[in-house]
Amino acid sequence: MDFNPCMKHKAVRKAVRMFAEAELAPIARDIDRDARFPWEVVEKMRPLHFFGLQAPREYGGAEMDSISYAIAIEEISRISAAMGLCLTVHNSVGVYPIVRFGTEEQKKRFLPAMARGDSIGAFCLTEANAGSDAGGVETTAVWDGSDYVINGTKIFVTNGGVCGTALIFAITDPQNLQKSAGVFIVEQDTPGFSVGEIEDLCGMRANPVSSLFLEDCRVPEGNLLGRPGDGIRIGLTTLDTGRIGIAAQALGIAQSAFEDAVRYSKERQQFKKPISSFQTIQNFLADMATEIDAARLLLYRACAVKDSGRPFGAEAAMAKLYCSEMATRVTNRAVQIHGGYGYSREYDVERYFRDAKVTEIYEGTSEVQRMVIARAVLSQRT
Amino acid sequence: MLKMVVCLKQVPMVSELPWDPRTGTLQRDLAEGMMNPACRSALEAALRLRAGEGGEITAITMGPPMAEEVLREAIALGADRGVLLTDRRMAGADTSVTSYTLARAIERACAGFDLVLCGFSTIDSETAQVGPQLAEELAVPGVAGIDGIELFGRTVRMRRLSDNFLETLEMDLPGLITVATGENALQHVPLGGLQAAFDGAKILTLSADDLGLDPEIIGVKGSATRIISVTSPTAAKKNLVLTGAPKRIVEQLFERFDDKIGGAIGRDLKTEKAK
Repeated sequence: MDFNPCMKHKAVRKAVRMFAEAELAPIARDIDRDARFPWEVVEKMRPLHFFGLQAPREYGGAEMDSISYAIAIEEISRISAAMGLCLTVHNSVGVYPIVRFGTEEQKKRFLPAMARGDSIGAFCLTEANAGSDAGGVETTAVWDGSDYVINGTKIFVTNGGVCGTALIFAITDPQNLQKSAGVFIVEQDTPGFSVGEIEDLCGMRANPVSSLFLEDCRVPEGNLLGRPGDGIRIGLTTLDTGRIGIAAQALGIAQSAFEDAVRYSKERQQFKKPISSFQTIQNFLADMATEIDAARLLLYRACAVKDSGRPFGAEAAMAKLYCSEMATRVTNRAVQIHGGYGYSREYDVERYFRDAKVTEIYEGTSEVQRMVIARAVLSQRT
Repeated sequence: MLKMVVCLKQVPMVSELPWDPRTGTLQRDLAEGMMNPACRSALEAALRLRAGEGGEITAITMGPPMAEEVLREAIALGADRGVLLTDRRMAGADTSVTSYTLARAIERACAGFDLVLCGFSTIDSETAQVGPQLAEELAVPGVAGIDGIELFGRTVRMRRLSDNFLETLEMDLPGLITVATGENALQHVPLGGLQAAFDGAKILTLSADDLGLDPEIIGVKGSATRIISVTSPTAAKKNLVLTGAPKRIVEQLFERFDDKIGGAIGRDLKTEKAK
């Protein structure tokens, strides 16, 4: 067992860090304040394969292994969690389901534009009455003999305001929810597809999270991913992958808050000493460092299991659960170490604190992760 | 076809430098490596020449096995192949011996080269000596500190900013150029290229024996110069708080710092005051 990152993973971290520090750091605070999606950065990310991180090379992707992928998301999120969110949702729940479940024809049709970043992906499960309970989905896709006609409203869609390709979770037979769920690929220029108002959120403000409306949206049979009734299976597998990305994102936020807290504790003087010389602050920093390390190991383990081809649902859920709750604790501590300044927009830690919280909510709440983990535990132990 | 060689050096990453606070020295064994910025400019210059003229780029570096990383990064950025000179007996080489070793490796691995490009200097030693010495070793003309290159047949035309003059120079190939970190804006590393460079690209690794080098004349043994010690000068910065009414504060400022203020505005305030 080798706990040292290999040369490739070090190189990936350096390359992404250099990009994020040069291109995102100067605007990270502003795009959060103004709730602005930075298209100019997207433009620079496109030729570097940020939108096809794990897509196969033949479709224009970088074909990265999962640890490299997690490192890339972590490093972008370390500077701007909102852009980390855009990338992880696009790559792991937009591109990945098509790579994994798409037909050759679907891959050829949709992947090149997505991997280039010309078409940003979104995954739409959540509705007013469905979220943690995927069975509550009310959006319908009814086969009329020539097309699927989709009707419904999706809410809290990450990348909603900028998406070009939305994967819509819908049911084809309202009488038979479990067996008729399907995932439909809907392009943003499809008649009947429209974007609602951008949500005014506590964190991740540079990501245009919105509702999506589907009114008699007609898509051909070729836009259904997998077979009719595969929806639940595709949805669950996709979310397992998505959780790796969100765990990486939470880890990046925590890392950043930790680095700021260490730096500030050395600069800030009270009682004529840097506050880092006080045992209370040292205990805070020691706990933060330990938790970040533990989270990183859990995450990379989940990635390694995924790449080995074994089931990784429980490992991904553990990583997501721990990384996200850890990020909330670590960013909270970072604000505390900064004192009054930490509560001010003048410093970045309040942004990290706001950004961290939602990682416990989306891509399966902490409660859902515990459900997944408990199920695995109970099925393995007698 | 234009055959180019780009010499790269892996240097400690500035942003991640771990210092030993007790001794004030760099903990090199803990430092993360990165491609020296001027070497990256040299690579960028080679990539631009190739984009216009076609050709082949070989990236070469001498260093510990971990220096392989800069070769793979170079391949991710567009270099065609990498050559790694690594051997414990090559370690500790001064600039003269480094140039000698690099020259022998270039003759072996890149025979018939047209153009060798190096960074002007490295951020960890700043000597700017290896490039010019390498030109001597290879017995080709060399020009240092260039920031613009154009190719006309077998002639390169180069631009160099020295002091406030812009020089235009020409050199016939084969030759060697050291590139300054100027106009060649650094490109970000494409992640697909990086993945491919690590997954598939072959690196040619050469030792002293492979090159038939006498161990007595390379590395620390063959070096004529020695570094006795490296220390960090401790800047004794003292803060001064001037108090009183604004007029009094300004007076104090001139009393205490007349030499510095005078220097900034080009007047000798001490003498003027004495008069």
